[in-house]
Amino acid sequence: MSIKGPLFSEYSLTNDVYDEMFDKKSVRSPYSSLFHYINDISAMDLAKKEELAKKIFISQGITFTVYQSGEGIEKIFPFDLIPRIITASEWEFIEKGITQRLKALNLFLIDIYSDQFILKDGIIPIETIYSCPHYLREMQGMPVPHQIHIHISGIDLIRDTDGSFLVLEDNLRTPSGVSYMLENRGITKRILPDLLPRNNVRTVTNYPNSLYQNLVDISPRSSQPTIVLLTPGIFNSAYFEHSTLARLMGIELVEGRDLVVDDHKVYMKTTNGLKQVDVIYKRVDDEYLDPLVFNRASLLGVPGLLSAYRKGNVALVNAPGNGVADDKAIYVYVPDMIRYYLNEEPILKNVITYQLSILEEKEFVFANITNMVIKRTNASGGYGMLMGNSATEIEISAYKEQVNLDPRSFIAQPIINLSTSPCYIDEKIQPRRVDLRPFALYGPNGIEIVPGGLTRVALRKGSLVVNSSQGGGSKDTWVLSKSKQDA
Amino acid sequence: MEEVKTPGYYQNQNKMLSRVADSLYWMSRYMERTDGILRMLKVNYISSQDDFAEFSWEPVLKIFSFLDKEEINKIKRNTNEVIRFMVCEYENQNSIRNIVTKSRDNAKSVQDHITKEVWQCLNEYYHLVKELNLENSVLLEEPVSLLDNLIKQGMIYYGTLEVTMARGEGLYFMHIGKYLERAIQSIDILNVKFNDLSFDLESGNDSPYWNYLLYSISGYEQNLKTYRAGSQAQNTLHQIMFNENFPRSILYSLNRLMIYFGRLKSTTNKDYHKILFMLGRLHSKVQFSDLETLSETGLPAFLSALRGDLIKIGEALDMYYFSYSQ
Repeated sequence: MSIKGPLFSEYSLTNDVYDEMFDKKSVRSPYSSLFHYINDISAMDLAKKEELAKKIFISQGITFTVYQSGEGIEKIFPFDLIPRIITASEWEFIEKGITQRLKALNLFLIDIYSDQFILKDGIIPIETIYSCPHYLREMQGMPVPHQIHIHISGIDLIRDTDGSFLVLEDNLRTPSGVSYMLENRGITKRILPDLLPRNNVRTVTNYPNSLYQNLVDISPRSSQPTIVLLTPGIFNSAYFEHSTLARLMGIELVEGRDLVVDDHKVYMKTTNGLKQVDVIYKRVDDEYLDPLVFNRASLLGVPGLLSAYRKGNVALVNAPGNGVADDKAIYVYVPDMIRYYLNEEPILKNVITYQLSILEEKEFVFANITNMVIKRTNASGGYGMLMGNSATEIEISAYKEQVNLDPRSFIAQPIINLSTSPCYIDEKIQPRRVDLRPFALYGPNGIEIVPGGLTRVALRKGSLVVNSSQGGGSKDTWVLSKSKQDA
Repeated sequence: MEEVKTPGYYQNQNKMLSRVADSLYWMSRYMERTDGILRMLKVNYISSQDDFAEFSWEPVLKIFSFLDKEEINKIKRNTNEVIRFMVCEYENQNSIRNIVTKSRDNAKSVQDHITKEVWQCLNEYYHLVKELNLENSVLLEEPVSLLDNLIKQGMIYYGTLEVTMARGEGLYFMHIGKYLERAIQSIDILNVKFNDLSFDLESGNDSPYWNYLLYSISGYEQNLKTYRAGSQAQNTLHQIMFNENFPRSILYSLNRLMIYFGRLKSTTNKDYHKILFMLGRLHSKVQFSDLETLSETGLPAFLSALRGDLIKIGEALDMYYFSYSQ
C-alpha cells in the first residue's frame, strides 16, 4: 500500500527496529487518523505549524537559558509536532508494570533504611549498597511519613525490536519533564485542532491536582497545611518546570534562603514574620539539602532541615536517600526485588545488564564491546557513556582503563534498537529514535500514573541518546481511551 | 462586612515571602522607570527638532545615565546616538534593554505570583527589546515611532496587570513600587525641564516647550481644561506637582502610596508604623504646599528634599519588609 504523500517520501524503516507508526509498509491502525491528517497537509502548512509552535514556546517563556559571554541566550527544548500514540491496552500493561515496580522499589527503600532483610537474605550483595554514593546513612531508622519514599517518579521505558516495553532506567529522586508533558499537550491543542477529541486521547491536565492532593495528604498538620516547592533558583535548568508546577498547584515557590529552621520546625520568611511550613516538594538534590548534614558549602539548602524531618514536623517529597534505589548497579536487582517483596513475576522486564564488578561479565563485555553501551552507575542525563558501536579505538581503550580502576561504578547493556517514530525534520518526515517517560504519583491512597508522559526523541540522525542535555527533543504523547479500541 | 466563607475558602492574606514581595516591587518599579524614560526621550526628541539652538541632551544624560562629563559632552548633541544609548546600550545600566531585562528577571523568579498573562506580556517585551538593533538602523530615522511602539508595550503591561491580577498583598507591593518610582520620575522630569530654564519660574512662557512635555505625559488635554490663565511654566509645574486628578502628578502618586501602603496594615509587623509615619509626613508636606511655598524654598531645593525622602522610604521598605537575609 503506497499511499504516502510527498512529506513521507523519504521515510524508510530500519530492519530490526520497531516503528511506532508503520508496520512494514502499512500504517498501524491507531495512527491512521493522524497519518491521514499529516499526509494530506501541505508541506507549507506543516512548516507554518512548526513555526507557530516555536513562537508559542518563546513567548510563554518555556525556555532555558544558556549563558554565553555574560549574556543570557534563551533556548527552547526542541518540540516535534507529530504526536506519539500509546493504545489503551499498551497503557494498561505499562500501568500495571510500573505500579508493580514502584511498590517493590518503595518496599526496598523502607527495608534498606531499616531492617535490611534483603541484604541479610543475600538477595543483594551488601557491598553494592554501601558502595553506592546515594545511600544516605542519615536516613537509617528515619521515620518516613506514611512509609512512602517515592512520591514522584519517572520510569524510562523503551521498545525492543518486537515492540515489547522494557525498563531502561528508574528515576526516583527528582525526575523532571512533567511540565513539558503538560506544555506539549497545550501546544497540540493549538496547532492540531480537533485531533485530540477525534482520537479519544485521555487528558493529562489532572496531574497538578493529583500531586497537590498527595502533598496535602501527607502533611503532619491537618488543617490548612503550608506546602512549598523548594527550587535551587532561576539559574537552574529546570526552573521553568519548578515555577510552572508551583503556579499550577497554587503553592509557594521557595529558595533555601526563604526558609529557616527553629526548634526543629521549618518556617518561611514572609512580609509578616515567620510562617510554618508543613510539606516541602524539594527539587534540590539531597546532597545540597541541609548543610549541617550533607555538603557544608551548600547555599541552596536549609540548615537543620533534616532534624525537623526526623522530628516529624515537616514532610519531604521525595524522601531523601532514594538514589540508592535508582542507582544503575541496583537496577539489575529490581526484578529480584519484585520476586522477593511481592512474590510476583516482573511485568515489565529490564534491559539485559552486565555488572562490570563481576569479572566474567566484564570480560564478556570487553570482548563484545562494539555491541555494548557502558554507563556510569551514578551518572544520568546521558553523561559519561560509551557507545561501543560509534566510539573510536582510542576512546574505547581509554574508557576500559577507567572501568578497570573502579569496575563498581560501571554497568553495560547490549545496544538496544530503540523504536523509531516519525518526526518533522528539515521539512521532511523522518524516523527518529524515541523512549517514553510516564510520571507516577504515589500517595497514601495508592499509585496513580497520569495517562501520558514525555516521549523523548533523539533528534540526530542515527542517534540512540534521547537526553535533552545531549540534543534530544520531545513529543506530545497520546494515550488513547478504551472506547477507541485498538486493533 | 461579614466575610462569606465556603468550606474550601482559605484566606491567606498578608503573608507573602519577603523575597517575593521584593521581586514584585522591583519588577513594577523597573516597568514604571521604563515608561518614564521612554516618555522623557520622546519629549526631548521632539524639543530637539524645534528651533532651540541651545538644545542639548545633557540634563537627560546627567539624570538617567551614569556617564561622566566628558562622555556626555561627546554625545550630547547627537540625537540618534543618545536614543540608541538610552534604548539599547548594554553598558548603560538604565537603558531600556537593561531595565526591561531586570523587570523580566524579577518576574521570572516570581512567576507563580503573577498571572500567566502578565508574565507573557513582560516576556514578550523582553524579547522585543532584546532583538532591537539600533546600530545604523533605519528605526532611528523616525525615533518617535520606535519610542511609541515601546511605550505601547508598557501600556499593554499596565492593562494586563489591572485586568488579571488578584487583589492582594502582591499587587499592593507592585503598586507601591510603581507609585514610588512614578513620583521619582516626575521629580526627575521637572528637574530636567526646569534645569533648561535655570529654574526661573517667571521665564519660559514658550508654549511649544511645555506643550510637548504635556503631550508626552498625556497631560495636555487636562492642562487645557484645568488651567485657563497664567504662566504656562507655573501651570505645568502645578499640574505635575499638585494636581490630584493628574495620574502622573507627585501628589497623586503619594495619595496612591498612602492607600496601598495602608492595605499592608498588620498586627505582626511592628515596623509598619515607622513607614506609615514617613509616608504620612511626606504626603502632608506636598499636600499643604503650593507654588508660593515652592518659590520660598526654591524649586531645586524642594525637589531634591522630596526625592531624598522618597529614596528613604524605599530604603525603609527594604529594611522592614524585604530583608530576608538574616
